[in-house]
Order: sequence, then C-alpha cells, then structure tokens
Amino acid sequence: MKKSVLSLASAMLFAFSANAQKVEFEEYDLSNGMHVILHQDNSAPVVTVGVMYHVGSKDEVEGKTGMAHFYEHLLFTGTKNIGRGEWSKIVAANGGAGNANTTWDRTYYYETFPSNNLELGLWMESERLLHPTIDQKAVDTQNEVVKEEKRQRMDNAPYGKIIYGDVYRHIFDKHNYKNSLIGSMKDLDGATLEEFKAFYDKWYMPNNAVLVIAGDFETKNTKKLIKNYFESIPARTLPKRETTVEPERTKEKRVKEYDSNIQLPAILLAHKTPAMKERDAKVLDVISTILSNGKSSRLYKKLVDDKKKALQVFSFARNLEDYSVYNIGAIPLGKTSLEDLIKEMDEEILKLQTELISDKDLQKVRNKFENNFVASNSNVQGIANSLARNYMLIGNTNNINKELEIVNSITKEEIRAVAKKYLAKDRRIVIEYLPESKKK
Amino acid sequence: MKTKILSIVTILFLSFTVSAQIDRTKQPKPGPAPKINLGTPEKFTLKNGLQVLVVENHKLPRVTATLSIDNPPMSFGNKKGVENLLSGMLGTGSKNTPKAKFDQEVDFLGANISFWNEGARTSSLSKYFPKVLGLMADAAFNPVFEQGEFDKQMKQSLDGIKSNAKNVKAIARRVENALTYGKNHPYGEFTSEETLKNVTLQDVKDLYNKTYKPNNAYLVIIGDVNFKEVKTQVESLFGNWAKGNLVTQTLPKVENPTTTEIDFINMPNAVQSELAIINAVDLKMGDKDYYAALLANQILGGGGTGRLYKNLREDKGYTYGAYSGIGADRYASRFKTSASVRNMVTDSAMVEAMKEINKLRYKKATQEELDVAKAKYIGSFVRNVEKPRTVANYALNILTNKLSKDYYKNYLKNINAVTLEDVQNAALKYFRGDKSRIIITGKGIDVLKNLEKTADYKINYFDANGNPTTKPEMSLPIPDGTTASTVVDSYFKAIGGKDKVTAVKSVMISSDAKVQGMQLNLVQKNAAPNKSLVLVSMAGNVMQKMVFDGTKGYQEARGQKKEVTGKELEEAKKQAAPFTDLAYKEGKLERIEPVDGKNAYVIKHGKSEIFYDLTSGLKIKEVKTVKGPQGEMKVPTLYSDYKEVNGIKFPHKMSQKMGPMNLEFIVKEIKVNEGVSDADFQ
Repeated sequence: MKKSVLSLASAMLFAFSANAQKVEFEEYDLSNGMHVILHQDNSAPVVTVGVMYHVGSKDEVEGKTGMAHFYEHLLFTGTKNIGRGEWSKIVAANGGAGNANTTWDRTYYYETFPSNNLELGLWMESERLLHPTIDQKAVDTQNEVVKEEKRQRMDNAPYGKIIYGDVYRHIFDKHNYKNSLIGSMKDLDGATLEEFKAFYDKWYMPNNAVLVIAGDFETKNTKKLIKNYFESIPARTLPKRETTVEPERTKEKRVKEYDSNIQLPAILLAHKTPAMKERDAKVLDVISTILSNGKSSRLYKKLVDDKKKALQVFSFARNLEDYSVYNIGAIPLGKTSLEDLIKEMDEEILKLQTELISDKDLQKVRNKFENNFVASNSNVQGIANSLARNYMLIGNTNNINKELEIVNSITKEEIRAVAKKYLAKDRRIVIEYLPESKKK
Repeated sequence: MKTKILSIVTILFLSFTVSAQIDRTKQPKPGPAPKINLGTPEKFTLKNGLQVLVVENHKLPRVTATLSIDNPPMSFGNKKGVENLLSGMLGTGSKNTPKAKFDQEVDFLGANISFWNEGARTSSLSKYFPKVLGLMADAAFNPVFEQGEFDKQMKQSLDGIKSNAKNVKAIARRVENALTYGKNHPYGEFTSEETLKNVTLQDVKDLYNKTYKPNNAYLVIIGDVNFKEVKTQVESLFGNWAKGNLVTQTLPKVENPTTTEIDFINMPNAVQSELAIINAVDLKMGDKDYYAALLANQILGGGGTGRLYKNLREDKGYTYGAYSGIGADRYASRFKTSASVRNMVTDSAMVEAMKEINKLRYKKATQEELDVAKAKYIGSFVRNVEKPRTVANYALNILTNKLSKDYYKNYLKNINAVTLEDVQNAALKYFRGDKSRIIITGKGIDVLKNLEKTADYKINYFDANGNPTTKPEMSLPIPDGTTASTVVDSYFKAIGGKDKVTAVKSVMISSDAKVQGMQLNLVQKNAAPNKSLVLVSMAGNVMQKMVFDGTKGYQEARGQKKEVTGKELEEAKKQAAPFTDLAYKEGKLERIEPVDGKNAYVIKHGKSEIFYDLTSGLKIKEVKTVKGPQGEMKVPTLYSDYKEVNGIKFPHKMSQKMGPMNLEFIVKEIKVNEGVSDADFQ
C-alpha cells in the first residue's frame, strides 16, 4: 500500500485548492491486484463510483470484433444478486445516474449517487465484476440494440465515419486500431455465447481493473467497504498483451470515403502519432491549439475568416494507448476544391515545421490549457474518469497534476521539431470524404 | 463561501448503519440522508432594468458570466435567419477593437466568449475575468456590422443549410416543429435558403437596435469573484446600456389534430426512421399538476427506467434509445415521444410506443414505478447541487417564470406528494394518444407498406420543408427495353457467361447452418432439365427429403412420406435445373425496388418474386409465398458471398427467414457435373 498522499488535508472542505490547482488523491492496491484511487471532496453530497477495465476494441481478435463494446451493453443485464432489468431501476431508485463507455483501449462503468448511497455503488460494481448475468437472451437483445446504435451514430449521421474513427482502417494496416470500435456486425452475429463468456473470462478480473471513488465520503469506513466488497473477488491470470508494431508509412496514401448523409465534402489529413503517454503527444495537442482552437488560430483565421474558403476547419488528436491519430481537416465553403484546401493546410503545416511560433502564441497556448484544465475538473464524475485514465493508460495517476507542467515546459523548438517529424507529408493519409452521390 | 443559506433540505431516505459483515445477496441500504445547502445568489438591479445575479463560489479559479435577454418569442417570417446572422455578427470585433485584434485578445486570455441575438456568455480563469467581461461588454454594446463580414456569414449560412439537406435528423426536427406549432409560430418557423436570401445587413442592424436591450435582461455571474468588486465593474460596464421600446407579438394558436394522424416525410437515404409522437400542451412550471406531469413523463420515457426504453430497446431491440419529454415553456410547449428505429421495424415501434402512451392514460402505474420516478428527481436535485450554476438557474427560473420565492425549497415536497391518481390524470391531460401527430421521417419505400398495413391512422405526406405533398413512388421506373429475359441474361453473364452455364448438367451444393446450437446440413442436387433433390439432416440423420425426378416426386419427413400432387406438381415441372433462373425468363419484370440499400429488378414468376441486383446483375433474393399454418406467408431467401466454382459464380451464403427463425447456410462444397446421378432422384 502506497503512503497516503492525502493526510490532514482531507479534512479541508475543498480538496481542490484554488491556488495549487492540484487534484488530491490517494491510491493503493487490494490483495487481489485491483487498484483503488480515492479523491475526496466533501463540498457537495455527491459521490461517483467508477470501475475502469483495461480492455478495449484493440484487444479483440480478428473475426471477433465488437466484443469489448458489446460488453459495455451486456454488463447492464444483471448479476447473480441483481435481477434481469433491475440494474437501472436500482440506480434510479436511489437517486443515482450512471452509464458506461468504451474506447479502443479501455471500458469504463460508473454511477454518481447522493453520498449516502456509496455502499450501494460499491455493491453494484462488485457484483458486476464478480458474477454478471451473461446469457443468450441478453446477447440476442443487445445484438439488435448495438446494430441500432451503429445506424444512429454512424450510418445515419453526417460525417459519422470521421467522428467515430471508422476511417482508422486506412491509417493502421497491422495494429488493431484499424478495426471499428463498434465492431463488425457480421462478427457479432456470428459470435456464440461461449465466445462471449470467454472474452469476459479473459479480460474482466480485479487485477485488470481500477476502482475509483470521487466525492463526498469518509475515508476510513470507505476503505473498509471496498475491502469487504472487492477483495474477495479472486484474481486470475492476465493474458499477455501483444503489442503490434505499426510500420512507419513512407509514402502518402490517398483514399476516398463516401457518406450518404452529407452534401458538402470534407478533407482529412490523418497521421499516426505517438502514444498518449509520450511527451510528443502533448506537443501535438499544443499544435492543435495553434492551428484551430479559437478564432485567432491559424487555420480558422486564414481559411474561414480571411480567405473564406472553408465552412469549418478542425485539427485534433485522438490520443490512444499504443499510438494516437492526429487529424487536420476542413469542409470547403462554396466552390473551393479539396485540392485547394490541402494546399492551404500544407502551407500552415510547413510554417510550423520551419518557423518558430511567437512568444505571444506560446503564452496563448498556455493560457488556453490552463483554462481547459480548470474547467475539466469542475465535477467529481469528470475527475474520477480522469484519475482512472491517467493510472491505466498513462501509467501514472498523478499525471493529472502534471499536464499543465508539461505544457508549460514545451518549447518553440520542440513544436517545430514535432511538426516536422510527425506531420510530414509522406507519413499521412489523405482522406477525401465525399457525398455518396459522387460515387461512380 | 459568502452564499447565504436559504434552506437546508433533508431528503427522506431511511437511514441504516453500515454493518461490518457484508451479505451480497442483499442490496445495501442508504446511509443517513445528506444535507443539502441550497444557496441563493446576491442580486441587484441597474436603473436600465438589467437584473444581476452573482453566485460566489471559490472552489475553482474560474468565472462564467451569462447575459440573457429574455424577450418574448418573435417570428421573423420571410426573413427568418436574420436572428442567426445577428448572432454571428455580434462579437466580430467592436467599434474600439477590430475583429482580428478582438479574437486575438480573447484567445490570448484562454477565454471563451460567445454571443447570440439575445445574449452573450464568457468563461475564463478568474484572474482574467475583469478583462474578459470588459471585452464582452464592449463587443455587445459597440458592435460593428460590416458588409464584408455579413457577406461571408451569409455564404456560410447558405452552405450550412445545404450541408443539412440530407441530414435525416435535422430535417425530422424541423418538420416536427413546423407541424406541431405551425409555420407561422416562432417555434415552428425555420430558416431556408429563400428566407435567408431576403435578409440584408440593414435588417440585422434593425433587429439589434430593436431587441438587444436591457428591459428584460439578466446577467448571471458565477464563480471565483468578489461581489463588491464585480458589482462596481458591472455598474460601470452595463450602466449606460440604454432601454428600448419592445412590442410584443401576438402568437398564433397552437392546435393538435382532432384525431391522431401519421405525418410522413420521405428521406430516401435514411437507414433509420425518426419516429416522433407529438402533441402540444399547455403546461407551466407553476401549475398544480406540473409535478405529476413530470413524473408521468418519467415513468413513460425517462431514461433507462422508462417504459419506452424497456419495451422498445431492452425487450424488442428496435432502437438504441426511446424516450419522452414534456416542456413547460411560458409560451408554448409539447409532449414528445421519440426514437430512431431501423426502417424495417418502424411500424412495430410506432405501435408499441402508442401502446405505452395509452397504457399510462388508461391504467394506473405501479407504486414502484412512481417511487423510482420520484427518486430520480430527488437524486438529480441532489447531484445538481454540486454545480454552482444550479443556484443561479433556480433563481433565474423563479424570476422569469414568476414562481413563488420558495419554489425550490418546496420542490422535493411537491414531488413527493404526487399520487398514482395524479399521474394518471396528468397522462390523460397531457399525453394525447387520441390527438397526436405521429411524425415519421424515413425511407418510404422501406417503411410505408408496413405502416399502411399496421396503422389505423390516416397517413399525410409532407416534404422536407413541411409542405403537404403526395405519397412517394414506391418503386423506380423500369428502363425501356429491359424485360425479364434481359435481366436473366445479364444474370447469366454476371455469373460466368451463357456458354459456361449451358455446359452445366448437374450441380451439388452442400451447406451448413446452425439452429439453436445444433448443426444442420443441407444438400441440394439438381440436374437438367428439372430434376431436384433436397436433403436436410442433423447429426447424420435425415430430417427432411424432397425429390422430383422430372415427372413425379415426394416429400419425406420424420418417416412420413407424401406424394407431390396437383398444383405443387405443376410448379415442380415448371422448374428448370440446374439453374432455375432459366424459367424466370418467362416471368414478368414487375418493378425496381431497393433491397438493403441496393436497387434490384424484381421478376414475378408463379408464387415467387426474384430480385437481381441492378449493378452487379447477381441474384440477391428470392421470396416464395407458401402455405403456412396461419395462412399464406412469405419466405425470403437472401443470396450473398458469390465465389467462383468451375468458372461459375455461386452464392456461398444463403439466409432464410421463416417467421421468427433465421437460418443462415454457409456453403462448404459445390460440385459441378459430378457427384450427381439419376439414382439421387429416386
């Protein structure tokens, strides 16, 4: 057990102190390998209980895609002690609200309750881990629901394939990030109950999970409850994670994607970039801010305001555990061609690669990150998720308090070097995202 | 914390102590109810009428300020869109600061400032707040309305409208509003290319001068500020904002149909239908039955515990989510049930949703449901206390809705007082299953046939602009010169060419399927001119056999043998082998119809309809009408995964739907001109 970071300070009304801007927390392991993170904030009678499992779509095997996300649905069915369909009712009847979400790297389940229901939250999450109901009936219903989710989010939504990363198959040839997060419907249709159960047995275990509690609670008693509910859940052998090395691209690739829900095309420059824990990933976040965050950002000002060539510009990183994906893109205004937009974007990228940004721009970036950081820690539910993510995917919970420090230490030279290294033309995929009617 | 404590609300939960030993089989009981400190903002009013609310909260070093001008709703008629252009033009610099510099300053402070036709909002770190509030006031009260900027935004707005032309959800929402409130009502009108083009820069200026006034305005400041300091600053920044003279428009009356109807909007690219069941309601936050209406709605369609979600998603798998909502706006509101459902179950989803609405109207909910619904409101009330803006929202609601001062103090008490009878009365009054518009935005060709069959309601058709129109074409025109014969010819060409096809004298196909976990094997043998054998076996045992030797045949199942006679015999003789399609040349090319997003030629032949893909030429589906125990039923077979065997393409996947059963055959072996002898057909 690690030494408690939180000592007398926990008695303070506000755990999040305005000056230090630090998220206080305490963390330790249970004997079965389950990691626990506690963040106390007694300013409002609210508590979040979350469990993050280190399994996402990248852990799926070929021909069996979609399992990770499917579990996010399945694990609301019930447990040995919670009847079918009772889960949501119990949460609601006790004033709580919860949900779950899946990414390429992890699956996260959480509930936020009035603080007198902390024990209920612990009971429910321990039930979910210990003995969930996984049967054919649940699989059959959720199979239809997941298909509807795909239709709603991707097939019936403008630019859905960009938003939900369905274009990553063009970026990754080997790494599982190439697979759709929601999976292939064919794979899900073909999956048997035994295969579903095997997936659970493989990944869902205390030693592959982090329990996070944030909000209004009393530490001593909470630790006792955690021990009671979770420590008896047996550890199992964690499968060895195979890290696939995605070869470096050496030549620009051009592809076309079609979407029946759009009228205006979009152009997307997609790059494979370093894992989220790498410093360079942060540098790329800084580059996004320079390029497209705010009306004075370079791409926005040039393409939307001055030259009036784009309806919208965007640049963002999807930061993932093994690699990240960095996108720069635009939707043309009027008759502007996609080629023209590429040319304009290339100019700005080249500028980043060859010139140093100004002191003022650097300070602007820092101010923006500081503002975002403060805003992102405005509720306990958000803090819980952030603590768990930092522990699980970055390997250091305290990274939550280091982010600003890192951003403030990034130099102009570093920005130039990273732009040069990762935004090189021959490393990228150019995706022309076109209306279905343009399909020949 | 400077916030005064208005009240301490205690929630009525049972309290139990935590035991040392846990019993997993029992759901833990809640601990003692937490106390909620509901603060109240400090208030002051400027001479020009602007009311200022300040919630001091020093937990985080940040501040938000929201200016909202609470004018009554206005309709803009043939210049609809002018208000959005005003929103866009505000904040494009000020008379004192050109746009580029203004943008630069805001970004440099890491702040966000946004403007709209009836307000403005900032969020920033507290250390920069005085500067940010100054920027906001400057841009709000000294706007520049420049022609160049106007032209740019006009172009963007026009493209924005264009970009949504195929957005099923966007079109659904706009037609739903137009139909519910009427196109002349501020809540029902929408911006089109036409109305937008009528707007000039002068219109934007006029609107600003007329409506951007402090008369009905509120400024809400929340966060890490000092009341005294912020008051001084607000007085100096907002004190000179001059009052205006506002004329309130009379709003058109909102009416429900006399009986429930379906309003259909055809969107050929839809893969899901947007299903909405809507009626207008007259409900205000201060109404006595407001709480009952909230709880009735919660029981019907509030999140994952609502009946709609449980039925349409968790039981039937029709949708990712089905919900309902009821508004209590001061001017006009509606009750709405909604779900995005896949095309093929649109009719069933509608029937189930209507059933749930009516069930709540005519049958009392259970005590458990009511308790859960109440707990949800109580829980969300408690959870919201965490947010400083809740305090401000509540105070603002009291002011704008003219509610009693202790409205929120009594809120939980009022929720808790609602009875099952109150819920039913509210459902009867506000959920008008009898006078609703069922608005469906979807792909007519996939949806309408079933909708007509299922529904007892009249179907009206509307275009994407909410104008009445006629029923969409249910099929596409057949091009000149295309006949059943040419379609079958191109099919033969697609699978390998007529020469190769005629050289085939016999075919053997063996495929597997899984039924309830059991392996099923299907062997089909066909030989020219019309001999056929179908063998179904499970674990090596023959379950079913159908044979035809060219003149006579029989069916055998579970030891029972039955000769093929009469009409069935005639049908069998008409079949061609090994490629049944040859006979379809004699059929009738009926129509072109989409199948799973692809267009297909449909040939009618005897009791079958055969579908050939328009582009690939391949056969994708066959629908046979057979006699079942409940009368005639249609059995569709889908063909896919075409692969070559001896130079001819055969489908390697065949799926058949019989009632609730879905059989999927995967081909494991195909033999051409071997493995078949006359003995097989005995």
